[in-house]
Amino acid sequence: MSRAVTRIRAAASIVVALLLAGCGDEGWHGKNITGLMPELEFTLTDENGKTVTEEVFTGRPVAMYFGFTHCPDICPTTLARLAAAARRLPDPMRADLQLAFVSVDPARDDPTQLASYTEAFSDRMIGLTGTQKQLQALTRRYRITYGYDEPDANGDYEVSHSSAIFVFDAQLEPRLMLLDSLEVPQMAEDLERLLTQP
Amino acid sequence: MKLASAIVALVALLAGALWWVGQVAPESPIEVGNARVRLVPGGGPMAGYMEIRNHSDSVIRLVGAASPAFGNVMIHRTIVRDGRARMQHQSDGVPIVPGDSATFKPRDLHLMLMQPKGALEVGDQVEIVLRFEGIDPADWPVAFTVVPVTSQ
Repeated sequence: MSRAVTRIRAAASIVVALLLAGCGDEGWHGKNITGLMPELEFTLTDENGKTVTEEVFTGRPVAMYFGFTHCPDICPTTLARLAAAARRLPDPMRADLQLAFVSVDPARDDPTQLASYTEAFSDRMIGLTGTQKQLQALTRRYRITYGYDEPDANGDYEVSHSSAIFVFDAQLEPRLMLLDSLEVPQMAEDLERLLTQP
Repeated sequence: MKLASAIVALVALLAGALWWVGQVAPESPIEVGNARVRLVPGGGPMAGYMEIRNHSDSVIRLVGAASPAFGNVMIHRTIVRDGRARMQHQSDGVPIVPGDSATFKPRDLHLMLMQPKGALEVGDQVEIVLRFEGIDPADWPVAFTVVPVTSQ
């Protein structure tokens, strides 16, 4: 065997090892959170201005992301990947999975703003927001935080927020955390695997 | 035979023209590629992405940007740490050493384009003037193409 071939094989085995390491626990690309956190529960306002609870999702799995619309980089990037991953799912999973965008910036994100934002990604994405009390009740449940920087001279301010997508099963139990670093095929693989399980 | 000499003449002419262009037009000190603005609906800020290559023989620094299409433009970097995402203003600008490039891309460096002045559509071109230190002139107008929010 030539030296070049040996090198290629060595490189290939390193790549495989890295890929396996990157897969995390039990072969998921994301993080399996089954049994670690309480079931979904909230009271929020939807993008039509209606007060809703977790019951709007009952019986169907939901992938939820926490962000804000004045977030031009990571929020659209993650939401677009999620929407693209959802579109890759086979039927009837594709029609079943609901997508939710929870804005932690209610001062700027009113229902109208949320509706035009979520519509740009998927017609199955619903925008939600609420009072600080309602948002804190939900985010604390999943041990995530958000916060605001001091406004600048123009009144613009930055918001720090959770970067992961939380996936709940049809019984609204939290099952998976999809990190923002995952690419579309990895997200789709995890979603399909989760939704295939009984 | 006639064709062969015509080809030879043409090649000679082209070679001469290339030599002439090479002598007359100095290489641009910077090159900006893949310049795009990702459309975000609803009047909120948008992100501008690009690749800036430094062809000069000294360090250049992107220190600011402005655009007639936006009220305010800032240079930001997205930082994700312990599952928390935030944006960091690059107050010292972005230095690029000779022969190197700076890539503005999703989940990383981006131009934060605030207060859009009018409705943009996919395919539109918007001008963004990049301001550098270390090259002359300092201001470089670049045409950015508006791309869908779903583009990565």
